[in-house]
Amino acid sequence: MPIVSAFLVPGSPLPMLKPDNPPWRELVAAYGEAGELLAASEPDVIAIYSTQWMAVLDELWQTRPHLVGEHVDENWHEYGVMPFDMHIDTELTAACIERTNEFGIRSKGVDYDQFPVDSGTITASHFLNPQGRLPLVIAANNLYHDGAVTERLAATVRQQADALDRRVALVGVGGLSGTIFRDDIDPGDDHLASPADDEENRRMLELMTAADAAALRAALPAYAQAAKADMGFKHMSWLLGGLGDGYESARVLGYGPTWGAGSAVVAFTP
Amino acid sequence: MSKGEILAGYLAPHPPHLVYGENPPQNEPRSEGGWEQLRWAYERARKTLDDLKPDVLLVHSPHWITQVGHHFLGVPQLSGKSVDPIFPNLFRYSFELDVDVELAEACCAEASKEGLVAKMMRNPKFRVDYGTITTLHMMRPQWDIPVVGISANNSPYYLQMEEGLEEMDRLGKATRRAIERTGRRAVLLASNTLCHYHFSAEPKIPEDMSREHPQNYEGYKWDMRIIEMLRRGETDEVFRVLPRFIEESFAEIKSGAFTWMFAAMGYPRIPGELHGYGTVIGTGNAVMEWNLANHPVQLEVRDRPTAA
Repeated sequence: MPIVSAFLVPGSPLPMLKPDNPPWRELVAAYGEAGELLAASEPDVIAIYSTQWMAVLDELWQTRPHLVGEHVDENWHEYGVMPFDMHIDTELTAACIERTNEFGIRSKGVDYDQFPVDSGTITASHFLNPQGRLPLVIAANNLYHDGAVTERLAATVRQQADALDRRVALVGVGGLSGTIFRDDIDPGDDHLASPADDEENRRMLELMTAADAAALRAALPAYAQAAKADMGFKHMSWLLGGLGDGYESARVLGYGPTWGAGSAVVAFTP
Repeated sequence: MSKGEILAGYLAPHPPHLVYGENPPQNEPRSEGGWEQLRWAYERARKTLDDLKPDVLLVHSPHWITQVGHHFLGVPQLSGKSVDPIFPNLFRYSFELDVDVELAEACCAEASKEGLVAKMMRNPKFRVDYGTITTLHMMRPQWDIPVVGISANNSPYYLQMEEGLEEMDRLGKATRRAIERTGRRAVLLASNTLCHYHFSAEPKIPEDMSREHPQNYEGYKWDMRIIEMLRRGETDEVFRVLPRFIEESFAEIKSGAFTWMFAAMGYPRIPGELHGYGTVIGTGNAVMEWNLANHPVQLEVRDRPTAA
């Protein structure tokens, strides 16, 4: 089994930009623990799908061997810059690009200086892959792909990793409930936008920890609608597609608000 | 200081393909041309803009998305390379622009007075979005007029359509007051496509115009209907049907720039000048101008006509 670990992590840059803010500390600590678990699983590569890298035509995959720079989030620019330094597993990525055509999804590589790497990918890489030690596969969120297509993309990563004898840590980057506060709030008072969102999120997290992949998969559309989940919760589909028939267990490492939206760090054992 | 005024508003869409087709030195990729009708439309708009000699260009872009509030560029000079995340093969543009920070701050303050969440963007490392840059390049490739860049809070997406458009109406009114208060002679640029249905794959040669046509016939018919109304100055009717147009043609003007511009101009019932129309990967794009300087009699400030 080439998938050696899998993680659901938040895409909001707030825990990276303001790690000391009390409502976000649980997520920061959870991200740290996830980083340790990821390292302990001894992967050769991390395969990331971030809801915030949006594509419209084709499925895009990052193919630039070395990405380095500073990013400023378009909304949270007042909190400073987000440095990044990432390497790409170009061989595995090229294999994925070639294979998606077989199920009717045209893929393209992206190899451009100063391509705008998204805040979610940078945040996940910052916490899970400090110093950019491990190479990455990074796939875009095509807005017109549904959960089923997203699962097939992740399954392609698994199959190609198997063929190339890679051990993969799979990472789905995105939020839970999507309702944010539209006003300025005191960040120290951040909380879930509504009790209903909180309830939906907690129910979804319980489903994850029940480790029944089929039941979890079946519950995704209703949850996505009720909680206005980030991008239809396709980052969970990425994880399910990569994990294949199921997984052994899951543990919620942290859960909390990011400007009213729901965020969680969940570790899955394949 | 004399009272400022809005000289004109332009509907100035931002497909990066137009910059790619033109081959300016700032853009890395080279093309064999393409999208000539729209580029010629922009040539006409460039001439009329030149005649107006504005102090400042204000542009509202749907590709600077801010979830919390309406943001304004607030750094005097910004530069860098803007790479389009959707079409990086077509748009990798080195930009340098001057920001009219005083006017931006006035817009921000007036928006706050309107009860909107408004913020200044002060981070010097901020990368300006490709929508802002494409519209500004197509309108004024010399880059010699200061700009005010305004983000899309995307309130029409997040709120009910009517609530969202009402917010953009208030943002437009706030913008007008800021222009008047600071004495600027300003031109507004609404960086929006009309029908936004598009193809899901790109031709091997992106500028192969034998592949370019409207993606959706119903959307095309909606575009023609809206343009006809705008050309006749039927502003009230346009805003009455706007929610239907947005829903049925997936129009990008939902992101707010069009309503912002018309609110700032006072919803003038004057004929819009169509400089040209064309499709880009199937989406409908019109370059249009409302020259307020030529219609001083009809310039009372009016409230937004609504479907009700």
